Amino acid sequence: MKLKSRILALGASALMALSAPVFAEDWAPDGPLTIQIGFGAGGSTDTMGRVLGKVMKDNTGWNVVVENKPGGGGVAMFTGLSQMPPNRNIVGMGVSIPVLVQLVNRGDQLPFDVDSFDYLGTVAKAELALVASKDAPFDTLEEMVAHAKEQGTLAVATMAPPQVLVMKQTEAKTGASFNLVTADGGAEVMKLILGGQVLAGFGSGEQYPYLESGDMKVIAGANQSRLSYAPDVKTFTESGVPAYVDPVFFLAMTGGTDPEAIKAISAAIDEAITAPEFVEIVRNAVKGDPINMGVEGTKQMMVDGLANAKVLFGK
Amino acid sequence: MGGDHVVSADRISGIFFLLLGLAMYFVVNPAHIEAVEGGSLNPKTVPDIISLILALCGGLLVLKPTTHQVANLQNILRTAGYSLLLVAGLFAMSRFGFEYVAPLLAFAIMWFIGERRPFWLAFGAVGMPALIWFLVTQALGRALP
Amino acid sequence: MVDYATILAGFGDAFTPFNLMFVLFGVLLGQFVGAVPGIGPIMAMAIAIPFTFGLDPLPAIAFLVGVNKGGLVGGAVPAILMNTPGTPDAAATALDGHPLAKQGKPLKATKMALFSSVTGDLFSDIVLITVSAPLAIMALKMGPIEVVALMIFAFSILAGLIGNSLIKGIIAAALGLLVASVGQDPEHYTPRLIFGYWDLFDGLPLPSVAIGMLAISEILRRMSLAHGNVKSGIITDGSQTPEDRRVSWAEYWACRYTMLRGATIGTILGALPGIGSTAAAFMSYAMTKAGSKDPTSFGKGNLQGIAASESANSAVVGANLIPLLTLGIPGSVGAALIISAFMIHGMQPGPLLFEQQGRLVYGLFGAMLMANFVNLWVGQLGLRFWTKVVSAPESIIFSAALLLCIVGVSMATSGLFGVAIMLIFAIVGYLMSTFGYSLVIFIIAFFLGPRFEKSIAQSLALTNGDLTQMLKSPVAVALLVLSVVSFVYFLRKNAQAAALETKM
Repeated sequence: MKLKSRILALGASALMALSAPVFAEDWAPDGPLTIQIGFGAGGSTDTMGRVLGKVMKDNTGWNVVVENKPGGGGVAMFTGLSQMPPNRNIVGMGVSIPVLVQLVNRGDQLPFDVDSFDYLGTVAKAELALVASKDAPFDTLEEMVAHAKEQGTLAVATMAPPQVLVMKQTEAKTGASFNLVTADGGAEVMKLILGGQVLAGFGSGEQYPYLESGDMKVIAGANQSRLSYAPDVKTFTESGVPAYVDPVFFLAMTGGTDPEAIKAISAAIDEAITAPEFVEIVRNAVKGDPINMGVEGTKQMMVDGLANAKVLFGK
Repeated sequence: MGGDHVVSADRISGIFFLLLGLAMYFVVNPAHIEAVEGGSLNPKTVPDIISLILALCGGLLVLKPTTHQVANLQNILRTAGYSLLLVAGLFAMSRFGFEYVAPLLAFAIMWFIGERRPFWLAFGAVGMPALIWFLVTQALGRALP
Repeated sequence: MVDYATILAGFGDAFTPFNLMFVLFGVLLGQFVGAVPGIGPIMAMAIAIPFTFGLDPLPAIAFLVGVNKGGLVGGAVPAILMNTPGTPDAAATALDGHPLAKQGKPLKATKMALFSSVTGDLFSDIVLITVSAPLAIMALKMGPIEVVALMIFAFSILAGLIGNSLIKGIIAAALGLLVASVGQDPEHYTPRLIFGYWDLFDGLPLPSVAIGMLAISEILRRMSLAHGNVKSGIITDGSQTPEDRRVSWAEYWACRYTMLRGATIGTILGALPGIGSTAAAFMSYAMTKAGSKDPTSFGKGNLQGIAASESANSAVVGANLIPLLTLGIPGSVGAALIISAFMIHGMQPGPLLFEQQGRLVYGLFGAMLMANFVNLWVGQLGLRFWTKVVSAPESIIFSAALLLCIVGVSMATSGLFGVAIMLIFAIVGYLMSTFGYSLVIFIIAFFLGPRFEKSIAQSLALTNGDLTQMLKSPVAVALLVLSVVSFVYFLRKNAQAAALETKM
């Protein structure tokens, strides 16, 4: 009887080892696994992070806790993460660009650099577009520049430093002049465009409903490659302004974390981002599908991103 | 209450705000606000204007104080005592965690207020922290400080 | 346009027992959690969102709407019963609510708050349901220049709250603006006055400052007074008549113009993103006081004061959904949380929402209307419960409130750092009130400061640094003229009051 049950148990565990993904057997957090989000409650990073946490919890059975640690576009959260001893089972979720911008501009004031973390993977890429009201008398970046020259100046709404630099680069390359109005996030950019206070502005997702309704049109893509939802629209680079911004939503842990933990958690993330409810939230938030660059790819993305940010900021 | 004492309350706070405004304008703002070029509104402009307004109004208050009276000194000292207790409690919480510090802190506060009834002391020092612990960690699944 | 069949189907969905149950749950949770010191309505929403993950869209949103509206009613409870508002908009309610509660009429005070809150809320909901589209278009026309003028107007009305010393009022406002300038500057994104603490890059955490200044400083003051003499949190001797425990129809009806004005102010400010309920509550309060035949009775337990503040701050919340649903623009933190809940449930707020999800939107409207009535009903019971709670000894109330504020702020911000800031502002607040500076003015300036500076920066960018272009906008000019009028009016009134005081 005893023997029989042991054989059965053995058989069952062998079966499990064959069928279950590799991570299930090796490593599990002792206590909760915390995902710290580098932004406040209610934004797209927060929304995606909360769904990711839930899916991971459902898939793995781990107690995944999601917290908000806002401040400096994730810099406050990554500062905290870098100062922690490793293996505290705390995962940081942030967006690459705000962190890279502060590293380039104020690296000497920050206690961390790109190498301070062990990267787990990415979940999505934000597509940044320059959009304008449907009534704007231009359809492309070239036409917009021409219109600005004709008028003397043109008001454009921005919501983050790299966008300001992209516009400054446009001024430098074309000789046009823009009045740059800084807004609190994409929603306010949309409000300024719809209200007619500015003619064009940057959106990282907030513009979709207006593109769909026909109230707005895309003038240019600000990523390295063309926008997935508007493949006919040229990028800034293609229009003769060599500047682009590629914000990626990524996850990382304190450097020096147990490789087994990295393996297990990154596998859990990789599994979670294919879940239908996660795919849906990503499509709602960034209009694209989830993208995971993997452990190595994420690190490479940050290293390359830093180099690109240095070029953009002229450092 | 003598007239001199009454006047001095506004004079004290007036001098404080005069010095604060000047210190912000001449020392803190230049050191802790980055210089930028171009743009419409310099990061320093608004804090500088406000600092000057603060200094100016502080100075005016010294010259023309109102008849405001400060509550008695004993109460202020007691408040300082409670504040120190909270600071100590917070510091202890950062080292040992809410679970261990909260009962002691609650007990100390109740004791200083003058509570001596065992039932209420026990309820405040054991019951409330336990209830908070249960609600936050068990019902909401959040972490305590 | 949405056809009637969709509207009816949507309302029909809302009134199924299953969805009503979620409205009820939400209101219960919101009223309870919103009333706990240190937690408050926004925190109640943030806590509730994860619970909706597994639900269908309508019950999930009905639940959140319930939490949101319940939280509004709950938020007034600590302000009135203990003078420890958890949010700055409730501070306006405390001005008259707490004195009335101290007179032994806590139920009357809280019930007046409940009735005027539900009235204001209902008003803005009806505006939302009927004329949200044109209102949203009007709100869009309020560009940065008009917003600057509007905020100057708001500040000028707040001059009515300054009291007898203009200088000290200006100092309190300047200090609030200075503290508000901590964090990222509005145009160049540079870290400003953060002293190496990147947690401050987005500004001082609002819950820390508000709860520290308004609630903890008051608890500190009361603890020093209670020394050695443990009383109940609120004393109701046996002399209360039944009239002291309820609000009569005549009393409610006497506040009808006050509530209408409050609800209108709240609805207008709520439709404009980013100004918020604090300004609305205090503007309504100051205007009611200015228009009253007996302004000296304010601050001493006048029902009109409670009605003014609660009708306005509750109206903001319904009106916040106007830019949210029609344009996808959140007007406040609470609204941003609702957007994120929408997105989790596959709804994309914006111009096509009514067309694509009309049934769901009208379901939401139905749930909002129902939530108002549930609020009224649950509130009647809840308020009795809370007045019982605060009749416990002060010792336990204060120690429990302090622990709850510590836990609440640490959850709402990012841990003990936010709690430490709360404590610093508690001490600042205590010293300010000891030396006779208005905390309310400080808090309003602190909340409006960042938006004000941002709008100025935007206006400067739009006008090439030439602010005289403001004069080209008729709306801005009208608001500026009104500002001058109200400023002069209030200053003269203050001077008269001060002269009267010295004579006595």
